[in-house]
Amino acid sequence: MKRHLSILTCLLLLALPLSAEDNPPEFKLFAALGMTKSQKASPLPTDSGVFLYDTLNQRWRRFGPTIQQVNSMAADPSNPANIFLACGNGIVRSQNNGKTWKMVTGWRESDITKIAVDPSNGQNVYAATAWGVVISRDGGDTWSEANTGLVEKLSKSIVVDHLNPTRLLVATTAGLFESMDSAASWEQVQSAPDIAILGLSRSLADTSLWVAGTEGGGVIISKDDGRTWKPSAPELSHANIYGVTTNPHDRRSMAAGGWTTGIWISTDGGAHWMNRSEGLPSMNVTKTAFDQTIPGRLWVSTFEEGTFYSDDLGETWRGDEIIKPGAAGSILGAFVVDLGFVPTTK
Amino acid sequence: MPFLTSFTNKLSIALVAAALVQPIGAAQPASSALTDEELIQQYRERCQIVLNKTVELTDPNDLSAGGMFNLAVCLHEGANLDWIRTRLVTANQPPAGAMFWMLPMVLFMEVAQDIEKDTGVAALTDEEWAFTRTLWRTYFPYRGDTENHWIMYYVSLYLVAEMFPDDGPERWYNGKSSAENMAEAREYIEDWIKITTSYGQGEYDSPNYIEEYTRPMALLAGWAKDPVLRKKGNMMMDYILLDYAVENINGLYGGAHSRVYPRYLVQPSLSAAAAHGWLFFNQGEYLSNGGNMVIALSGYTPPPILLRIAQDRSNPYVHRELKRTRWRLRNAGATAFEIDGKSTIPVYKYSYVHEDYILGSSQGGLLQPIQQQTWSLLWNEPKPKGISNTMFGVQPYSSPFEGTMYFSTDWDTVTDLISRSKVDYDSEDKLEGGSPYEQVSQHKAALIALYDIPEGTRFPLIHTYFSRDLKNREEDPSGWIFAQGGPIYIAYRPLAAGEWKPLDWTGLLKAGTGSYFTANSNPAAGFEPLAGGSESYVSYALQNGYIVQIASAKDYDSYAAFKSAVVALPLKISLKPTPSVTYTALDGAVLTAQYGKAFSINGAEVDFADWKLFDGPFAQAERESESLEMIHGQDRYLLDFKNARTETLSTTTK
Repeated sequence: MKRHLSILTCLLLLALPLSAEDNPPEFKLFAALGMTKSQKASPLPTDSGVFLYDTLNQRWRRFGPTIQQVNSMAADPSNPANIFLACGNGIVRSQNNGKTWKMVTGWRESDITKIAVDPSNGQNVYAATAWGVVISRDGGDTWSEANTGLVEKLSKSIVVDHLNPTRLLVATTAGLFESMDSAASWEQVQSAPDIAILGLSRSLADTSLWVAGTEGGGVIISKDDGRTWKPSAPELSHANIYGVTTNPHDRRSMAAGGWTTGIWISTDGGAHWMNRSEGLPSMNVTKTAFDQTIPGRLWVSTFEEGTFYSDDLGETWRGDEIIKPGAAGSILGAFVVDLGFVPTTK
Repeated sequence: MPFLTSFTNKLSIALVAAALVQPIGAAQPASSALTDEELIQQYRERCQIVLNKTVELTDPNDLSAGGMFNLAVCLHEGANLDWIRTRLVTANQPPAGAMFWMLPMVLFMEVAQDIEKDTGVAALTDEEWAFTRTLWRTYFPYRGDTENHWIMYYVSLYLVAEMFPDDGPERWYNGKSSAENMAEAREYIEDWIKITTSYGQGEYDSPNYIEEYTRPMALLAGWAKDPVLRKKGNMMMDYILLDYAVENINGLYGGAHSRVYPRYLVQPSLSAAAAHGWLFFNQGEYLSNGGNMVIALSGYTPPPILLRIAQDRSNPYVHRELKRTRWRLRNAGATAFEIDGKSTIPVYKYSYVHEDYILGSSQGGLLQPIQQQTWSLLWNEPKPKGISNTMFGVQPYSSPFEGTMYFSTDWDTVTDLISRSKVDYDSEDKLEGGSPYEQVSQHKAALIALYDIPEGTRFPLIHTYFSRDLKNREEDPSGWIFAQGGPIYIAYRPLAAGEWKPLDWTGLLKAGTGSYFTANSNPAAGFEPLAGGSESYVSYALQNGYIVQIASAKDYDSYAAFKSAVVALPLKISLKPTPSVTYTALDGAVLTAQYGKAFSINGAEVDFADWKLFDGPFAQAERESESLEMIHGQDRYLLDFKNARTETLSTTTK
């Protein structure tokens, strides 16, 4: 355990400004709930919002306001008290670790899918939305469009290269696009297919390794820091892959899951993949994430059938079944639109 | 200021109204015989009927029923005050419904504030004001995912922020101050008005969603303190109602529609548009309706020219409109253009309006997700309640391609999520919806629909609705199917053979929003009262289509004469490789339609390039003009949104 934590801390030092060095952040697992399986109509919402996982008590706890259609969450790595929620209504920000919240976008910004904060300068905040990319240069106070060069605007994910924070990758419905000028302009990554990119993950254990999930094209990976991309996991070559993740504690392990596919794992850098879905209640995977703090733990959210973890690379699964459905602490039945880790203040 | 504002003058007005008001549903004299002042007086009487009926229908002993619209009306009328005080709390534990909660709550608060301002008497206690105000801090409403959601959200937000202009961010659910909320809401409202009056609505001409636009516009017209927004709210009411009036047949909304629920498809007299038809155009019969409650309280008064246009069917006319699709997120297509960075394509509407019927259409294709009605026929019934006086056709298409074109939801979940709300979306029996394999052309009373459906399509069929209220339906050896609907004759020529299928949706629509297809009045009765006994003509040929030819019965000596005339018309049909028709209509026009090609009339191709926003004898508006001219006889009424002004260009007040 100690060895893993020290590796992680080193990685974080790469990603975070020096101010965090003396006070390395903790990470918490979040689940962004768009709705639950009992939802019938958009004006009549069921439960939604962000939940954080209490590892000690093995319970999910609501964090922040109850807002319908929350798609993701992000925090400023250099100041984790600055938190952003990606919502259907826009972007909701807290600057005091969730004590108070403000919707910082206006009517022009909508249907936010993912938010990324520049680890070297928390004033630079980037958001993927259904209508393209929007950016803020003042920590989220004001926003503007940044779509120059995008072929289709609908974007599902956005990542800041923490080693070169002026470089970003955005996953759009027309393929993968790269910016080298802090989102001022975008160019299509030609070696990636020009189909919808649904998820994107960069390995913190091997920063040259990227994995992406696609709509209809399965899994693609890059081993040269996103410059060239190739199909991986031939068993999933025509699948819609919504969740991809790389293991921050192991440069060779990664996982991917999608609709009807269940969860697949590779432990050899994507050369071979194994279906490790036995025990999951549904083969429809919406998101997956390797744990930032517990080495080897893999989390999987299934479509409205629960969120589970495995400590043995999918041999066995635990999770929502240990909490009585409907009881406090359970998110069983939720549509988890995003699942991931955010830095938190101690 | 609403015209009925205070307790002090309410009693006298009620007495006058009681003397003037005729029994509900009784016809008042035609507009042509009345002066403008008399028309306005009659309209106000109908508004008072709305308020009186709402109070009558409220059960003050039932603390579990009654929405904020009802509370607002009762408060305005000084009725059921104890019930209001209790129900205010129970109806908001917890608040729900997002913009459908916001709008009636604002209405209630505005009415309460009016009473206090006009009478100096507290309409609500301090605790009740604090309770309502607190809800705006603790409940975080969703802005929604449709055009009507957004305009209701922002109008409500604007007005309640205007009510508390100095409140800081700590008083609001979204952490913005009243000033910030007002500025944002105002900018959206202004932008929506500009887009609507420049390119048309995306959620255009909906018989049921019309009230989701008249409600917020009436709120602005009645209560906005800002004079420009108040004026523009009033003008948008005029605009939306004109849009309806020119395609109105005796208080029902005809033509092609962006969104319509099955319930209103098969019985148009149940729609919000029908309720508005009674209130605004003095047509049809009274129908309880939340939109009418807001309007009756708001004091909005339509210009008399609107009612004259709605009632004047002395000459048949062609009316064209330009609308647009809902914003397209993906696969916008070659004809797409951007407004404010969002993609859309034009919708070309064509309606032939006759005193006996309206036949109207759009060009076909995926113009609006889920609930599009590409074409429809309505025939005039003097008392349409309970009558399925309509006909329409559908290629029942559903796919994630359509869903993801309009929603940001993922490919694999979008159909499921749509179907939870619109439970018929993924059914071959659906009665509404667009299809990418559909192409519709129309010339006056003749309509040609062509379909070229690829192999492997989920529901490889087309069907056309034949109402139980049609009479003398006959299948002629010539291939034509004939029927009589009220005052009209109908000829329907399938291009490929089909079969008759009874309609029974009792099991299909048992859940979701669509369930109120059967549940509004008498759920136990199921489908039967709505359209039981109606049938679909279903055809499974992939290359397919039909011709619809309408005529007024009064134009023929007999039904037999009509049938003979239609059978004698020149007609050439070809289905391979793609469907094509050359048909000489009853008016002598030679119509040529080929799937994938432009429609031609007497050899001249129909050109959509110069299609105006409104183009007909009663309405003219150029694309991007931000204006609309209403025309009736010598009367002209101009809406100029750029300058927030109206102008009566000439008048012949009777």
